[in-house]
Amino acid sequence: MTGSLEATFRNEWPRAVAILTRVLGDLTLAEDAVQDAFTTALERWPRDGVPRAPGAWIVATARNGAIDRIRREQTFARKAELLARLQELPAEEDADMSSIPDERLALLFTCCHPALAVESRVALTLREVGGLATPEIARAFLVAEPALAQRLVRAKRRVRDTGIPFRVPPDHLLPDRLPDVLRVLYLVFNEGYAASAGDALVRHELCAEAIRLTKLLCVLMPDEPEAFGLLALLLLQDSRRDARLGADGELVLLADQDRRRWDRASIDEGLRVLRRAEAMRRPGPYQLQAVIAAGHAEGADPRVIADAYAVLERFDPSPVVRLNRAVAMALAGEVEKGLAILEAIEGLKGYSYLAAARADLLRRLGRRDEAAASYREALLLTDNGPERRFLERRLDEVAPTR
Amino acid sequence: MRYALLVYSDQSSWEGIDEEEAARQRADSMPRWLTLFEEMGKADPAVEGRELVAASEAKVVRLRDGERVVTDGPFAETKEQIGGIFLTELPDLDEAIRIAALVPAAAYGSMEIRPVVE
Repeated sequence: MTGSLEATFRNEWPRAVAILTRVLGDLTLAEDAVQDAFTTALERWPRDGVPRAPGAWIVATARNGAIDRIRREQTFARKAELLARLQELPAEEDADMSSIPDERLALLFTCCHPALAVESRVALTLREVGGLATPEIARAFLVAEPALAQRLVRAKRRVRDTGIPFRVPPDHLLPDRLPDVLRVLYLVFNEGYAASAGDALVRHELCAEAIRLTKLLCVLMPDEPEAFGLLALLLLQDSRRDARLGADGELVLLADQDRRRWDRASIDEGLRVLRRAEAMRRPGPYQLQAVIAAGHAEGADPRVIADAYAVLERFDPSPVVRLNRAVAMALAGEVEKGLAILEAIEGLKGYSYLAAARADLLRRLGRRDEAAASYREALLLTDNGPERRFLERRLDEVAPTR
Repeated sequence: MRYALLVYSDQSSWEGIDEEEAARQRADSMPRWLTLFEEMGKADPAVEGRELVAASEAKVVRLRDGERVVTDGPFAETKEQIGGIFLTELPDLDEAIRIAALVPAAAYGSMEIRPVVE
């Protein structure tokens, strides 16, 4: 598939799936219909050229295909109901799409509903809203393709059988539900960024996809500062992608990174988006994380970053945030205090970063034997190649005669 | 969509309390029940609800090798037992969750939401 055709597909997929889901009231039926339309497009467009209004073409073709499918497959009573509903959609391939409501936001909220398992939300969001094909998602998550396909089938069945609504939650539910959506988008990004294993190119695409979906969310919800906060955070983190890994693939810590390798355009865009979020004057955890990331990008005083973590901890009193605050305090010169906080953290057993952070603080305090023990512990807890090499180098520094 | 809302609570906490205390607890929870009934009625005027006699009075029947075995209940040795059931037609899962959370037992026991097979 050519690049532009693929981009068209990615853009039109969620719009068409969302429209058909609203009309049919069934995600599986909708996806099947849109899939058929895309298969037809793949045959015809390269031969006949891309239609003038690709979106309308897809919706009309999906509609007409759905009518055939429903006639074949559904029981009599259901058939009448579904066919009646489909009449609402235009049958013409060049209809004016602006007359059909954009339902992509409803689709996103449905895919991220808390009644679904977290991994199902991620997979479903990438499939339906991201328009990624099942094999692509399976590759990105290092899952066998049939297993991922099964996960998607089960998730869609659950949406139908438990009555998960297809709509943007009403105002009184929104504060509860928006964080679920943001979390899924952040998980997609992190899967690409923090990479516990896997192919670099596929991972890069996941990050790009998370940013694309978050931009879409910002377009659809222009008054939600946390959506912009998340977008700023993703852009700022993504700007350091190339600098995070050295020439031979080893992990380079923020302080040691070659700043010339940071993506300046991405940083500028992140800062712009963050300012827009802050102008709404409703701070939240993603905005604060973006503030921290912006602080790193602009070389802010470590004290400022440690303070931002302290505020973040009020929004999100999780052990991971406390861990980061402890490290930030150490960088701001309060190594002993940071270490005391680390030692008191509970609930992160088996988390390699905790052991690695403790090792680093002990190293800074000159407690080499204890540092070495912590580096060894961290090494037992991660399979990530670059991370392991980094830890091994540090271990060599504190315990050269090992 | 049709949902069964199953009310679970630890019924042993009701055993051994005197009449006066039981009456007081019932009176305490009354406003919450009234709110529930009002909201349930608004969401589905045809909602059905039944309280069940204490699980300690339950009988469990099994047919094993053609033989009928009847024992005293409750069936499962869990602390929380079903104490009541609602059957209601609601637009979606979000609404079912909202209604279930209004049941007073949600505050001390738990509510289970089970879509009914159509």
